[in-house]
Amino acid sequence: MGPRRRDSGGTAPADQWHGVLFGALAGTMLFGGAMTIADDAFAAGGGATDGRALIQERCSSCHQKEADGTLHRIDHVRKTPEGWTMTLFRMRQFHGVALSEEEQRTLVAYFADRQGLAPEETAPYRYVLERRPAVVEEPVTDGDLSVMCARCHSVARVGLQRRDADEWTRLVNFHLGQWPTIEYSAQGRDRKWWEIASTQIPQLLGTKFPFKTDAWTDWQAAPKPDLAGRWAVAGHRPGIGSYGGTATVTKAENGYRVTYELTDAAGKPLSGEGRSVVYTGYEWRGTGTLDGKPVREVFAASRDGSRLDGRWFLTQQDEVGGSLHALRIGGTASAILGTSQSFLKAGTTARITLWGAGLDRGEIAFGPGVSAKILSRSPTAMTVEATAAADAAPGARSLTVGGARTDGFAVYATLDSVRVEPDYAIARIGGNSGPVPPMTAQFEAVGYLNGPDGKPGTEDDVRVGPMPASWNVEPFNEAAAQMQDAKFAGAMGPTGLFMPAGAGPNPQRQFGTNNIGDLKIVGTVQDGSATLTGSGRLISTVQRWNDPPIH
Amino acid sequence: MRNRRPIVQTASRLGGLLAALLLAASPAAAKDYLLTGAKPDKLVLVDAAARKVERVLTIPGGGVAPSTIVPSPDGRVAYVINNHLGSVSGVDLDSGKQVFRADFSTTGEPGGDLRVRALFGMDVSPDGKELYVFQSPVRLLPGEYRVEDTRIAVYNTADGVGAKPVRLLPAPRRIAVLAFSKDGGTLWALGWDLYGLDPKTGAVKETHKVLNWTRANHSPPDVLDIWPQFEQAATLSTPYSTARTDLAATDPGAARTGLMTLDLATGRMDMRDFEDTSAVIFSSVISPVNRTEAYSVYTQLSKIDTDGGRLVKRVDLPHTYYAINISSDGKEVYVGGTACDIGVYSTDTLDRVGQVEIAGCPDQGMASLRVIRR
Repeated sequence: MGPRRRDSGGTAPADQWHGVLFGALAGTMLFGGAMTIADDAFAAGGGATDGRALIQERCSSCHQKEADGTLHRIDHVRKTPEGWTMTLFRMRQFHGVALSEEEQRTLVAYFADRQGLAPEETAPYRYVLERRPAVVEEPVTDGDLSVMCARCHSVARVGLQRRDADEWTRLVNFHLGQWPTIEYSAQGRDRKWWEIASTQIPQLLGTKFPFKTDAWTDWQAAPKPDLAGRWAVAGHRPGIGSYGGTATVTKAENGYRVTYELTDAAGKPLSGEGRSVVYTGYEWRGTGTLDGKPVREVFAASRDGSRLDGRWFLTQQDEVGGSLHALRIGGTASAILGTSQSFLKAGTTARITLWGAGLDRGEIAFGPGVSAKILSRSPTAMTVEATAAADAAPGARSLTVGGARTDGFAVYATLDSVRVEPDYAIARIGGNSGPVPPMTAQFEAVGYLNGPDGKPGTEDDVRVGPMPASWNVEPFNEAAAQMQDAKFAGAMGPTGLFMPAGAGPNPQRQFGTNNIGDLKIVGTVQDGSATLTGSGRLISTVQRWNDPPIH
Repeated sequence: MRNRRPIVQTASRLGGLLAALLLAASPAAAKDYLLTGAKPDKLVLVDAAARKVERVLTIPGGGVAPSTIVPSPDGRVAYVINNHLGSVSGVDLDSGKQVFRADFSTTGEPGGDLRVRALFGMDVSPDGKELYVFQSPVRLLPGEYRVEDTRIAVYNTADGVGAKPVRLLPAPRRIAVLAFSKDGGTLWALGWDLYGLDPKTGAVKETHKVLNWTRANHSPPDVLDIWPQFEQAATLSTPYSTARTDLAATDPGAARTGLMTLDLATGRMDMRDFEDTSAVIFSSVISPVNRTEAYSVYTQLSKIDTDGGRLVKRVDLPHTYYAINISSDGKEVYVGGTACDIGVYSTDTLDRVGQVEIAGCPDQGMASLRVIRR
């Protein structure tokens, strides 16, 4: 690795960090924190007629009608609701288009429905819509896309748009026209960026992400699910634990209302409520509260409307949230969506709750050597007292209730290893009277068994689950030690939450630099008499000054 | 009428005489002044020896941050890129008046659709008559932008406020520094390579390879230097970094830092490594007294022997500085840019021997740090 860049002057050299999604700084467009598509999106009314009329009125002076009757550019792009929100933001910010909030909502709904992405098209990239932190993307293997696009953007940002080559060319022209320093930047000057971007890249993108696809044609013709009804729900909050229960979805103006009746892993009730708009027939975007805190929801409905999957997160701190999986109640099928804990130690007894649908019928089985006494059961939840015999065979188990089954369960006698998950994450300094709050990073210490090969850290390891741990930080490398990053960059809380230090120059540091740091996060788990540690890497970096819905 | 002509001629002669006297007298009396910019719209003139801000001048319509600064050869006018890289202003350093202004874009004019930004490179001809500005235009069409070829716009400095280009020269993309040869016959442009341009036509007369420099077992050098700091030694210098492709990336010798120098009097160019990379460097300056001494800056100040290709000494700075320049006697270097102070260091010891604080602590950002003799 090259030299360590330290800059107390405000720039943010970060070339060693790209590869971690959200790690790179990009662009100079200012997005207000309020510009989110789920923020009070419920007044969107009018539908297609109003949308087309608005476009005619506000957009067509620049976007002129082409020979085939389509509007220049507008009619030749497909995007997610978030993508359209960003486009409209750009039109308002850069081109002075006058749109009220309500008109903007109408247009986002209109565009997302008429020129959205099919479920299969968004599936590979949902993490970016869900604003999952610490996702490390797969490199793009096509041509130069990894370096030409994904050094600054996520791969997902590119992959969540559909255009033909000529329209990608126009986007490339906008890039350099709006931000002429791209070809001077550290990530743009090691090649003839403009020459490549304006010739090879649009062709490649037009082939890989074309405007017309069978997937979209099929989805446009497909019936769209009605999501009203009762749902079984389960999910996981990193650092806190699993939760589950039910949700009731009812139709409301321009969308749905939802109420949640949930419990956490210990049985403590969690309640929530909210409203949602469903774009493109399957893109659920909700706002509401959960456990008293304002949250937003980004879920995808399955084609048949039987499932909802996604993530919710705190409105003001989107790195904090949880996964959510929901299954419509009422069918004949039974299913296990989640469990309050994913493991049982041999020779111990634990109270375990299973969440799902159809759980009020059939036998419960943890496999050989584990007995379960049912404490309570309903169609959507079952609580058992499970006991693993001292000689119960360690390893992955299938947990079944009648015909319902989950594979994410393990019995263990002693842990073989502990991994810190995620193993690579970023946090961001913030606060300290500055305008941008800090971005935390959540870690879990996850116990593993070695699996058949008897070696830790291999593919066949059996994931046991998150364990209580103690936490500390160490410098990741020599440069971090020299700069005393472990002292200045922030601290780990008892639940594995890293809280970055305050923003701004720190006169106590060498060069008066800010409190960024490159840290090794060490989680220590006590397993009987054994002490196991795992580690991950955390780069706590500078603020994200621009926070668009899609990074 | 008869009587007036001689009077005018006399006045003109007197003026000429006065100017000649002043010019003749100036070398003895002249001293070093530093010229820097401060956000949002200030030019700051500093008496270097006195460690004192002499004057703070406002750039009309300056925008958020002054960028490249080029002093006129007589040291009386500072040309500064401003207005979001969209304009250049010439500000008289004595009166504070804007005596020259060119707004690059045509979007404000009837039928005009070009938005034009100056990307760092700017210099004035040695006779002070022409100002050369590297520009990147984009055409704003209905519903779309179209990137145009980069160019160098040439302005007559005498055209004052509202100046329009008298010539548009074709120019390679990604130029970051423009520097005239001492005789004015060549305009050097540093980008991917170092191009020697004909200032009349823009024709590339010669090219010194920089990124296209092919060296066995070395990656193409990386260069980005937007700080014109060549006036004291008439030598353009810039740091570069390269990687040894025959060594493992973890090998301490795999990353190398060097210095490119171009003698603006002779046109001789040299690129020479001086260390295994151990510090980030943004910009450098050559001593006018000992031309084999270079000084470079970022969070460290380094003294480099360019002839021997070695690092002589390095000291930590209290914070990051982007820009560096040097006194006419070669005894002091000045580190600036970034924050609101200019640090003064002995070239002999690299000890901090003084500093200049700009009142109100405005950020100098990426503004040039120039030395003028007045």
